[in-house]
Amino acid sequence: MVFSSVVFLFRFLPAFMICYFLAPGRMRNFILLLGSLFFYAWGEPVYVLLMLFSTVVDYGNGLLIERWRGQRRAAVPLVVSVVVNLGVLGFFKYGDFLVSTVNSVFGTRIPLLRLGLPIGISFYTFQTMSYTIDVYRGQAKVQKNLLDFGVYVTMFPQLIAGPIVKYRDVEDCLHSRRTDVTAVSRGIRRFCAGLAKKVLLANNLGELWNQVMDGGFQEMSMLTAWLGILGFAFQIYFDFSGYSDMAIGLGEILGFHFPENFNYPYLSGSVTEFWRRWHISLGSWFREYVYIPLGGNRKGLPRQLLHILIVWMLTGIWHGAGWNFALWGLWFAFLLILEKLFLHRALSWFPKAVGVIYTFGVVLAGWALFAIPSFTELVSYLGAMAGMGGLLDGNGLYLGREYLVLLVIAAVGSTPLPHRAVSRLEQSRRCVWTALFRLGEKVIPAALLLLCIAGIVEDSYNPFLYFRF
Amino acid sequence: MDEKRNAVFTICVLSSILLFFTLADLFHGDRLYSETENRVLASRPEFSAAALLSGDYTSDYETYVTDQFVGRDKWIDIKTKTDLFLGKRTINGVYLGADDYLIERHLPQEYPPSEAEEKLELLRALTDRWDAAVMLIPTADNILTDKLPACAPYYDETPLLESASEIAGERGYVDVFSALCRHRGEEIYYRTDHHWTSLGAYYGYLAWAQTMGEEPFAYDPAGMETAAGDFQGTLQSRLNLKWPADSILYFPETMEVTPQITYDGTRDSQSYYEESHLDTKNKYGFFLDGNHGLTQIDTGYDRDKTLIVLKDSYGNCLIPLLAPHYGRILALDLRYYNGRLFPLLEQYAAEGDTDVLVVYNCVHFLEDFLYY
Repeated sequence: MVFSSVVFLFRFLPAFMICYFLAPGRMRNFILLLGSLFFYAWGEPVYVLLMLFSTVVDYGNGLLIERWRGQRRAAVPLVVSVVVNLGVLGFFKYGDFLVSTVNSVFGTRIPLLRLGLPIGISFYTFQTMSYTIDVYRGQAKVQKNLLDFGVYVTMFPQLIAGPIVKYRDVEDCLHSRRTDVTAVSRGIRRFCAGLAKKVLLANNLGELWNQVMDGGFQEMSMLTAWLGILGFAFQIYFDFSGYSDMAIGLGEILGFHFPENFNYPYLSGSVTEFWRRWHISLGSWFREYVYIPLGGNRKGLPRQLLHILIVWMLTGIWHGAGWNFALWGLWFAFLLILEKLFLHRALSWFPKAVGVIYTFGVVLAGWALFAIPSFTELVSYLGAMAGMGGLLDGNGLYLGREYLVLLVIAAVGSTPLPHRAVSRLEQSRRCVWTALFRLGEKVIPAALLLLCIAGIVEDSYNPFLYFRF
Repeated sequence: MDEKRNAVFTICVLSSILLFFTLADLFHGDRLYSETENRVLASRPEFSAAALLSGDYTSDYETYVTDQFVGRDKWIDIKTKTDLFLGKRTINGVYLGADDYLIERHLPQEYPPSEAEEKLELLRALTDRWDAAVMLIPTADNILTDKLPACAPYYDETPLLESASEIAGERGYVDVFSALCRHRGEEIYYRTDHHWTSLGAYYGYLAWAQTMGEEPFAYDPAGMETAAGDFQGTLQSRLNLKWPADSILYFPETMEVTPQITYDGTRDSQSYYEESHLDTKNKYGFFLDGNHGLTQIDTGYDRDKTLIVLKDSYGNCLIPLLAPHYGRILALDLRYYNGRLFPLLEQYAAEGDTDVLVVYNCVHFLEDFLYY
């Protein structure tokens, strides 16, 4: 089930919320677990068992680590947890990729597994691993209640597309949490904002990208190529950050505080900064559980650069089983290493705008790697972006005109400007502005919700990008 | 305190929107068919364990709930208006052109040359064997280029028409493209529908007569009569917005001699025009009763010759104009005609002097021209 669907908004959500808030406090986790399992099984009626398996295994691992604490054998359940989670992830996500790579390199004919990728598997395996690792390190208390632990793993707001919530971030809320009307109202507004980002911006901008792709790569003009990749960049940002907003909002309604996942990434002054502001929960997961355990920056510059390479290779293939994703990771590793060596210092001599333009440019080139799986097509697309197919063509001019307003809204929307404008209104000393704020605060979320319903019901185009991961 | 009151207000408004439509939707009956979208809507899927496990049940259920959602037409309307507000000039594959023209979009990449080649081979086989005349009619985007939104891409049909003219030869190829281009300022296409008008068909007819060396019948474009003034065609349906209506006109001269028409061998009629369609959404069905696989016409004119027309719906308003030149006309819509073509043509050719004419718009030709 996705949030931007009729079934979620007009069947699941009302039914769930009514049951949840009518139930007495101690029943709520049970209802949350049941609801989450239903939510997941709706999309994955079989693989829900896989998720339950992963949950029970890590629950057991946590208990064993606690029982054997201080002994050497406490490492065994930790290793089991990592092996099982990575094994499951590897088998379902990378099995066919490995098989077909082996086949093409060695000319073998090993048959493909042809398993569908279980929804959200990359997210929940990372979450449960963080739990056992934290318990082993003593950074989180063991969870003895299977129900509470089940709620942590399966919780539907962030189950299928993050943010990746570390166990210790929600540990206390699992057991007892409080919510009040201001939090619920904040949560609802956040959810509507996320839904609007997804339905009104991401879906429409995705159409721009699709139309550019459909036009074929031959003789594509520079204008068309840049419009297309801009469309994709804004689509993936609003899609994913919208999803995170909806997750955070739903969490807030239920009394959870999920970590923020995006912080205006397209305004970053360097690639290093970009990765602190884009998909923050993934970046911090890799930093905490891979980069720092490898030695981080404490083992000298050559080792640090190697660690960067490893982490971004992994980040790349985490996004999908394909060489283009590995290449995408390598591209960022390359840039990060350059920045560590000299680029970061060089950028600091210039005004911040130079860094922002540089970062946005290399990120856009990165999105081309990300979005185009075929290498030959990628080369011709990058060629078109460089102007090999001419500056302008009719298609580019038409699409530019067709999507100009949306692109401007998207560009402004990916900066803090709207947010600042709203705060200025709210804190203004002139009562005209504060009255306008009060009115907007009441009307805009409802209006956005209605427009989103229209977009969802029309539903010509409504994919979630992060479903493939 | 103020903050708390605001919060309660937000919660109440937004959750009552969701609850209101949830309840309204639960008590709202299912529709079989959507007039505005011109398609059958999904119905409640059958439950079975196998369908549940494969995931088909839940995805079918989602389609069903979305298709049957309360006020669906209104929501689509809102969505379209939002798109217009955001400056879009293409809605649902329809260009919003100048002078209230809605023009169907055909993108170049949708019609690869290899597929055109296949259709042209079929056409070649037909003209080689039967000396057929060919009328490929350009779609509105190729003629009304000045009405398209600036720089709007469209599939250029001229290479296709050039190939067709080579295949049909000078004596078989009817140059409708040039004829329509000369009259592009006139009402030759509907504004709300993808068809050409009777006037467009008339200019096509003149081009046909010139190619065939026939003396054209004296139709008077100024004397056309109005069958309906409130025609909202297929393109308006895809937008589902209020749009200035078209008029359906026809030539009264075509009523002077009463024809005997048999549709699909089952239903008889004494007119090229079926007024019953004027009360429905699909008013273009007025011409030759919409789409039939096999339409047999005794024109009532004292001519020996027979005409066999292989046509799409563009042919429906042209055929009445051809009647004075033939005693008998047989119209085949190959999408609905299941028999073998050449044996049928042989049978008619054996009975007497028979002409064969292919009438398609270019896009339908690429999509649908196929015979066995």
